[in-house]
Amino acid sequence: MPRKAALLCSCATMGAIALGAVALAGSAQAQTEIRVIASHYSDQTATIFEGMAADFEAAHPDIDIVIEDVPWGSLQQRLVTDVAGGTAPDISIIGTRWLVDFVENDVVASMDDYITPEFKDRFIEVFMDPSTIDGEVYGLPVAASARAMYYNEDLLEQAGIAEPPATWDELKAAAEKIDALGDDYYGFGLQGAGETEADAYWYYSLWTHGGEIFTEDGESGIASPEAVAATQTYKDLIDSGLTQPGVTSADREDIEALFKQGRVGMILSGPWMRGQLAEEAPDLNYGIAGIPEGTQKATYGVTDSIVIFADSEVKDEAWMFLEEAAFSDKWRTEFTLKEGFLPVFKSVAADPHFADDPQLKAFTDLLPYAQFAPLVPNWQEMADTTKSALQTIYLGEGEVEPTLAAAADKINGILK
Amino acid sequence: MNGTQFRLAWAMILPSLALAIWIIGYPIYDVVMAATHEVNRFGKLRDFVGVANFETLIADPIFWGSLRRTFVWTGGVVGGTLLLSLPIAIMLNDDFHGRGILRVIIMLPWAVSLTMTSIVWRWTLNGQYGMLNEVLKDLGLIGQSIEWLATATLAFPIEILIGILVSIPFTTTVFLGGLSSLPGDIYEAARIDGAGPWQRFINLTLPLMRPFINIALVLNIIHVFNSFPIIWVLTQGDPANSTDILVTYLYKLAFRYGRIGDASAMSLVMFAVLLVFTIIYARMAMRESKEAAAQ
Repeated sequence: MPRKAALLCSCATMGAIALGAVALAGSAQAQTEIRVIASHYSDQTATIFEGMAADFEAAHPDIDIVIEDVPWGSLQQRLVTDVAGGTAPDISIIGTRWLVDFVENDVVASMDDYITPEFKDRFIEVFMDPSTIDGEVYGLPVAASARAMYYNEDLLEQAGIAEPPATWDELKAAAEKIDALGDDYYGFGLQGAGETEADAYWYYSLWTHGGEIFTEDGESGIASPEAVAATQTYKDLIDSGLTQPGVTSADREDIEALFKQGRVGMILSGPWMRGQLAEEAPDLNYGIAGIPEGTQKATYGVTDSIVIFADSEVKDEAWMFLEEAAFSDKWRTEFTLKEGFLPVFKSVAADPHFADDPQLKAFTDLLPYAQFAPLVPNWQEMADTTKSALQTIYLGEGEVEPTLAAAADKINGILK
Repeated sequence: MNGTQFRLAWAMILPSLALAIWIIGYPIYDVVMAATHEVNRFGKLRDFVGVANFETLIADPIFWGSLRRTFVWTGGVVGGTLLLSLPIAIMLNDDFHGRGILRVIIMLPWAVSLTMTSIVWRWTLNGQYGMLNEVLKDLGLIGQSIEWLATATLAFPIEILIGILVSIPFTTTVFLGGLSSLPGDIYEAARIDGAGPWQRFINLTLPLMRPFINIALVLNIIHVFNSFPIIWVLTQGDPANSTDILVTYLYKLAFRYGRIGDASAMSLVMFAVLLVFTIIYARMAMRESKEAAAQ
């Protein structure tokens, strides 16, 4: 029967392809391969990691480092599907806020067997804390940032403001004067939407008003009197027309774009903005100051972590890559400088590039007051719940207190 | 059909049948397993929980809101598409100068990836530097910029309009195919009997086009129901979940919140809804081919 023969043939072809695949895999195994996923911070990320890989491969010719550069927006989904499918990489950068979920499900390996006290001592302590869970280190802080207030010096001067506002009351007064400059100018840029940090923009206000995301007894703190006051501060700015219109559709890039265009007086952002401003708006006169205070100083400290996966069969080599290449002084300086983050190494912080930079001081001065995203499972869902409640309030579709209380209830439910 | 022929027929379709069962059946089995178990965020099954995941879903107000909006979204996009595509197809079916170019223009949105189209619209609709506000201001139609995507009242209808725009090419193609198969002589006869264009449309075109309209209707429902990029790129379901439809909320549940069990239960609900439409489609297609065979 010719048909059966054809069928057999196609089976044979598939078999041959499968064999070929095995053969290919076999030839690659002659060398140890380490698969590294780097998150896309900028167009330079891949180049920097390729540089680390080249240095490491030169010292260890038997090891092959494969770098893959994945955009932030799809990184979490990518890693989850890879882990579920049993094809997790050996090393990846992750948002430290996901780490608890990864550790709880035994997806990432503890680094305690590898990390020496001398190595650990090279890090600035505060950045090491978020990736330490129950005393064990699960990730190395690869990118660190804090947040501060960027202000447009020209707009402030035109509005007759001598000093950048230090409190929320002063910010409101300054915003009123800037807003009066014309229809195209807004006092304060307020982020209310987007995949990244729409909730964080509110934590700045929450923390400076003395509130906390979780109270000491482990319940949601987003409906506390301090949280209500923090929300009122923002709501008041929105209702007085002192922010850009359309707060609930403005993501981080939107308000940063307004600042670059010189149309908004003040926004809260991280150190990466400096690089972007130098590149995209070199003529803009701006200054950096602390986040306005309500009752206390605060900033949001954020780290991304580099982790080794539990299923990796080359953990020893993966660690070697981290210790010798990725976390060498040379590449730490290179990465931190080019990507515009804060130094995580004491030695890098002492580098004149960073130590003599007055603008960076605005960020590093706030570090003692830095708060980090809480290390709880299912954090992303809680953050989205908070964002959703805030959007309802910003739009005027819900009263401040009951809306926050309902969101806090939902978060307490997720906690259980 | 005698016994040998029967066996041969089965032997011939068996490989493709097995392949189809494997490709379609395995994922369904997988989703059913996940929907009835406690699942960790990396897809590992834990305890059997029966219908608990469905109960979680039923108790979730965002699920019901998304379900309701999914029907508005599907109805709006599919209804609007059919209403616009039929006249467009009729116009394009007439012979006129430049018809070729016009056909290409109508088909263009089809050639661009949906995500790209959505990103361009997102820029166009940006309240601060979007082109739409500039154009409307230049024309003197609005005095102040409008924030198109900041509230669901504006954003959701806009998303439906974009959905219609990108569904028109496919639907118009189906209709053009239908129109070109209509016999010309009956129109001639109707014209001689004194039927005007409107009467010809109501009494001839519409009834003759019915099978094509039905097919376009069902296929569009199936496509649009699960369409993700437009809403995800424009608003991601914001503000406050007020533009979420089932498929965008499903993505959040599965990949952002790690609630794979609940997400699987939800995708089974969506599967059930779509299955109804697919069965309708299959029956229509079968009737078509029977009618064609009878002629």
